[in-house]
Amino acid sequence: MSTQPTGFKSWLLTTDHKKIGVMYLVTSLVFFVVGLLLAFIMRTEQLDITKKVIIDADLYNTAFTIHGAAMVLFWMIPVLLGFLANYMIPLMIGAHDVAFPRLNALSFWLYVGAGLIAVMALILPGRLDTGWTGYPPYSIVGPANTAFYVFAVHLLGASSIAGAVNFITTIITLRAPGMTWGRLNLTVWGLFGGFIIQLVGVPVLAAAVTLLLFDKYLGTSFYDGTKGGSPILYEHLFWFYAHPAVYVVALPVFGIVSDIISTFSRKRIYGYTSMAIAIMIITVVGFETWVHHLYVAGTLNWTRVVFMWGTIAIGVPTGIKTFNWLATLHKGSIDLKTPMLHALGFISLFTIGGVTGIANGLLGFDIQVHDTHWVVAHFHYVLAISMSMLCMGAIYYWFPKFTGKMYNEKLGKTAFWITLIGAMIAFLPQFHLGYDGIPRRYWKLPSQYAGEMRIAVIFSYITIAGFLMTLYNFVHSAIKGEKAPANPWNSLSLEWQIPSPPPFYNFEQIPTITDGPYEYGKPADTTVKAH
Amino acid sequence: MLKQMVRLLTAALFVSLPYAAAAAERVADPVKAWNNHFKTWAVVSIVVYLVVTVPLIYFVFKYKRRHKDETGAYIVGNTALEILWTIVPMIIIIMLGVQSWAVFNDLRDVPKDHIEVKAVGFMYGFEMYSPEGIKTINELRVPVGNVKVNLSSKDVIHDFALPAFRTREDMVPGENTYLWFSAKEPGEYPVYCAEYCGSGHSSMLAKVIVMKQEDYDAWVKKQKGEGTTVAALTPETKGKELVERLGCLGCHGIAGEIKAGPALNGVIGKSQELEDGTKVVIDEAFVKEKIADPKAKPVKGFGHIMPPNALAKEEYEAIAAYINTLK
Repeated sequence: MSTQPTGFKSWLLTTDHKKIGVMYLVTSLVFFVVGLLLAFIMRTEQLDITKKVIIDADLYNTAFTIHGAAMVLFWMIPVLLGFLANYMIPLMIGAHDVAFPRLNALSFWLYVGAGLIAVMALILPGRLDTGWTGYPPYSIVGPANTAFYVFAVHLLGASSIAGAVNFITTIITLRAPGMTWGRLNLTVWGLFGGFIIQLVGVPVLAAAVTLLLFDKYLGTSFYDGTKGGSPILYEHLFWFYAHPAVYVVALPVFGIVSDIISTFSRKRIYGYTSMAIAIMIITVVGFETWVHHLYVAGTLNWTRVVFMWGTIAIGVPTGIKTFNWLATLHKGSIDLKTPMLHALGFISLFTIGGVTGIANGLLGFDIQVHDTHWVVAHFHYVLAISMSMLCMGAIYYWFPKFTGKMYNEKLGKTAFWITLIGAMIAFLPQFHLGYDGIPRRYWKLPSQYAGEMRIAVIFSYITIAGFLMTLYNFVHSAIKGEKAPANPWNSLSLEWQIPSPPPFYNFEQIPTITDGPYEYGKPADTTVKAH
Repeated sequence: MLKQMVRLLTAALFVSLPYAAAAAERVADPVKAWNNHFKTWAVVSIVVYLVVTVPLIYFVFKYKRRHKDETGAYIVGNTALEILWTIVPMIIIIMLGVQSWAVFNDLRDVPKDHIEVKAVGFMYGFEMYSPEGIKTINELRVPVGNVKVNLSSKDVIHDFALPAFRTREDMVPGENTYLWFSAKEPGEYPVYCAEYCGSGHSSMLAKVIVMKQEDYDAWVKKQKGEGTTVAALTPETKGKELVERLGCLGCHGIAGEIKAGPALNGVIGKSQELEDGTKVVIDEAFVKEKIADPKAKPVKGFGHIMPPNALAKEEYEAIAAYINTLK
């Protein structure tokens, strides 16, 4: 067994899944801070919705473009499919490393390259102002340097496809003896679903933006409706990936919530099999929903009906998961440590996002609220804030494992409550604006909403402050935290059975697995049945 | 177990079918239909939210860990319960979906008795054409009754959002889309562009003005005989009216503010660098040329987004004269 290499060069040239994981975490947190900063700027601009406060319309447009791209593409997907998958999958399935360690390093550095291009798009002339969706013809005839956008997506796409191939192979082939599919952590199941979506969807997005590049710089007319092309084609191709991308984030999150709730209730996760099935159903049905982004785009009326059923059908497996979480709490032994608070806080925010998301999926309902502040509020509840918060919970949960230090519990809980209170209120007023049909991506808004928007601004500031406290907790505890035991939560999951932080090759010997990760309080008599 | 599930699913469908039939009947007023739909959704959503959060909070208090080595009960699952919380959400979703489908049909199927108008989006405004062919900018005048609006765009994708009538549809260059609404009460109703289209997106606003039939007829008559009154205006006044009517102010400020395009005040007589690096002093001739063909001599620092304008010779002169008065 070789020893752990140290020093700057060992990080730069590493192919160790744990080091790559930590680099993913640090990089994605940097983008999270960039996204928060842009959110702060946009919210400040909304202090007065009738005249300029600090930035003009063009900067505002760039701010929401980069905010969206940074938060979804450079924070949420990388922190889950980069950091968490890298660090935890080999530990959870009982492997020394991933299947293709060098490909893994390549994935990370491509992601860094894409991130640098995204930052350039924010500050260089020809600033990207197309929205993260980059719809033509605006992205073709407008002032933005669309090449930044296209190349960032290309690099990120290559990174994602390599990552997906790598981890799908790892999960299928490198499971330790006895680690059956029925004994995988639900986090691994969620990541597995996420990687399948990446593998199927990302190439389509890459193709879509490549045609954008051709249209803008080579004079082709794939998306030019006046020359036989169609701008709607781009919308279809874009959302074919970009809607399932939401599930790329959501599925691992569902898995993590399950792991955290089971650990801190010291109780077997309720309905394990239905949880895993629900994840795979969402993976597949997630590809039958994208046209709801085109409900008012002039698509044929009957296609809209078909995709309405696909969209709202997602509510069923999601509901199953929520009820299984509740049933896991029932008769558990609940310890409200910081990660557990984040998991429960997630459910309370996510359900608001869920029911308002059904509204967006409902064809007749959506016509009024399409492209309005309703949608902005919805996806901040269902995805943006709730899942960012849960990612913080995940970092807290595994913090002792990957740093070998304990985080500050008191600060963690305080930061959680501040974030949750802020997040609960910050986007509520925008449901009202959406109900009234007021469009999103507006630099200035009708003056009658000034008071409500000011409330939204204040609570957004509170949310941002909560997140910053959490980040401070991470940095401070990583440096000065107390030494962590190997298994502070008394979890039965495999990653907690080795020292914290894990040794270079994780396991001295590949372990043989005899039981699942959630079998708390399992009676000695193992004839208990599922009925 | 499979049999049990099939039986339950069949029961679910039977429960929702009569409901579906009732919902499929055509409602006279799409706005009312939408409002009802919203109420149904709101009630369902509040119940769902309580069903999730109340037990969550209750369990957290009730099953709080009492001592360090405590473990929860060992429960693997319960098939009946799991089927219940699969079937019930399914029924709810089918019901909401059927109702929404009916609302959608109301909002999209144009009644036979309607008039047709046209709206064309541009950066940043709306050209409207009445059935009589009268062109207006940023205001659509219609008589009380059903109105079908045929939509298209001159440049990028816009959207004709008409929240008062619970409807909207994108305006796509090179394609034809539509929406309809039932104008019942005379009055003014706001129109928004709801598809992001660039710098002037949030100022791309218009209104639908619903008029009594006789008022509308009078307006049409006046528009048709318009020529005499306009000729009497001075060029500067006429230019001001044109600049406002053509939607120029969506992109151009008149008090020094930079929007998607340069501000118009003080622009005549100013030395300006072009994209190719040459410098020109802007005069009225340059302004007239730019209005007709904006892409000919692009000035430095702005996008190429202004649409060309085919106007009468005296209209170009009127606009130039008006701009000359802005300091």
